[in-house]
Amino acid sequence: MASFLAKRLALALVTIYAVVTLTFFMVRLMPGNAMSYLEAQLSQQGGLTTQQIAAKVQEAYGVQPTGPLWHQYLSYLGNAVHGNFGTSILDPGKTVLSVVAGALPWTLLVVGLALLISFAIGVIIGTLIAAFPQSMLAKIATGVVSFLAAVPNYIIALVLIYLVADQEHLLPASGPYSLTTTPGWNVSFISSVLQHALLPVLSYVIVAFGSWALTMKGSVSTILGADYVRAGEARGLSRYRVTRSYIGRNAMLPMVTNLGLSLGYMFGGSVFIETFFVYPGLGYYLVQSVNQRDYPVMMGCFLLITIAVVVSNLIVDLAYPLVDPRIMSPGRARQTGLTVSGRAAEAQTADPAGRPAA
Amino acid sequence: MKFLRDLWRICRADKPALIGAIVILIYLAVAIIGPFATHVGYQKNPALAYLPPSLKYPLGTDFLGNSVLSELIIGTRPIMEVGILAAVMVVTVGVTVGLVSGYRGGVMDQVVMRITDVFLTIPGLPLVIVIASIVRTTSPFALAAILSVTGWAGLARAVRSQALSLRTSDFIDAARVQGLPLRNMVARQLLPNVGPYVAIHFLLAVTDAIYAEVGLYLLGVAPISGTNWGIMLNLALSQGALYTTQSALYLFSPMLAIVFLQVALVYFSRAMDRLFNPRLRVQ
Repeated sequence: MASFLAKRLALALVTIYAVVTLTFFMVRLMPGNAMSYLEAQLSQQGGLTTQQIAAKVQEAYGVQPTGPLWHQYLSYLGNAVHGNFGTSILDPGKTVLSVVAGALPWTLLVVGLALLISFAIGVIIGTLIAAFPQSMLAKIATGVVSFLAAVPNYIIALVLIYLVADQEHLLPASGPYSLTTTPGWNVSFISSVLQHALLPVLSYVIVAFGSWALTMKGSVSTILGADYVRAGEARGLSRYRVTRSYIGRNAMLPMVTNLGLSLGYMFGGSVFIETFFVYPGLGYYLVQSVNQRDYPVMMGCFLLITIAVVVSNLIVDLAYPLVDPRIMSPGRARQTGLTVSGRAAEAQTADPAGRPAA
Repeated sequence: MKFLRDLWRICRADKPALIGAIVILIYLAVAIIGPFATHVGYQKNPALAYLPPSLKYPLGTDFLGNSVLSELIIGTRPIMEVGILAAVMVVTVGVTVGLVSGYRGGVMDQVVMRITDVFLTIPGLPLVIVIASIVRTTSPFALAAILSVTGWAGLARAVRSQALSLRTSDFIDAARVQGLPLRNMVARQLLPNVGPYVAIHFLLAVTDAIYAEVGLYLLGVAPISGTNWGIMLNLALSQGALYTTQSALYLFSPMLAIVFLQVALVYFSRAMDRLFNPRLRVQ
């Protein structure tokens, strides 16, 4: 268990380090180099000495542009560790950190809500389809679900804006909350936030719940025929017990594994959904800064999106042993009858870990 | 030939897959002959702007006075071209890395897999947007390379685990005893055994690439020049198509073109899955 977590933690740190390094070299070395672009822009404006230009570039990127590359890289890394990612080029009064820190909660709110809702709907629909594969409803649901899973999320977002928000004015289609409310823990503000989050969340959910349902369906239908399920039924266990403890818990395993994989897609999709709904999260600022060539902000957004994905992956990894206790002590499965405590014995019956690993 | 016969048999039984295959063939045909059949001008012609559908303009016209249908047809080739190119790159890199790493094993395998893990974790779309914004390219090859920057990792992981299990099989032992070089081991011994998986992944890689490519144009990150579905959507949005009903066809035609293609690719990939994985056919 400890080594499993140590490995995941190391991977998380390496990923963040890789992205920090990547952002540095992209800003510094790629064609159309962003730092020399800013230098050229400043010298074109005129009225500035070379030293002043260098100072401005240093303020924006937090790096002395004239030093040797390895030196720039080290000071960039040092700044990054301290949370200093420079300042916005367009709005020099704002640090990149303050921009992305203000954007993060909105992205987490919408992506988190969307993930929970689509996961829950997917589990329910997937289980139903697998349980009654011959029913008309299951066939229609399979068709609808596999169709929606193939539609790009930005198309769903645009259609929702067109149909619900702009033509009918049923729901707000832009901004995080209504300007007439005052931010704080009051009812009108929270309900305004939820109202504004509804359409963005819906755009994610419509696309995402289909693939959850398909995964759950596949997972449940392979387990339905498993020997240990038949054994449980043969022992006369109640239908509820078999469904919950034998089928449900095992069917959830691939779902939890998929959670980690889908996080990247969800956070990535924020680029479109937040842009179209003018929702001030990380994806919105990423696209804004790309179109305005505000590279420090762009890199900050990209870095924070990556960190958000990495940290959520870690949380999923931490939760995985709760769903699958076998990961905690791989040897225990073979020591049936020698369980140490009552809690462990209960875990053994709840999760049919006694079967030999497939 | 047996392959095609099997494919036809499965498609006949699975109607969505058959429709998917037909739709893909139609798109390919349009992509190839489309540019010879029609053309699109870039001069503004106010008299023809936003015409309703008619015999001459079956899907109406856009803000410049161009036929929306012509634009759809012309726009097919660039999208399909980049999508297929990117998928070829994803599959080539993913399969090579996966097979060599899985077959060689040892320290190299460990190092390569850690690198793969990093690429699997980095959110692909934001990375693509960041790179595309710095590179700003119109070349289909460069665009395809940018789009496949993280896509290969998932395939490499899956292929590697297959290569690991193949490594201990008898025919690999036999090949090893003959002293075949690594290139032969990978390309002639291992590759045919992971072929089915690769074929399915190829189709899904095309959908991923098209999703991201249209997205880049939609956000204006890729340079807006020429005609393709993403550029059509971008222009429709910037002309305010969301706020009026008069340009609904101009807005929704490219969307439908994308959705049909994506759904067709996914449905057809399921038939491929069934073709290569006979256990699925029983259900």
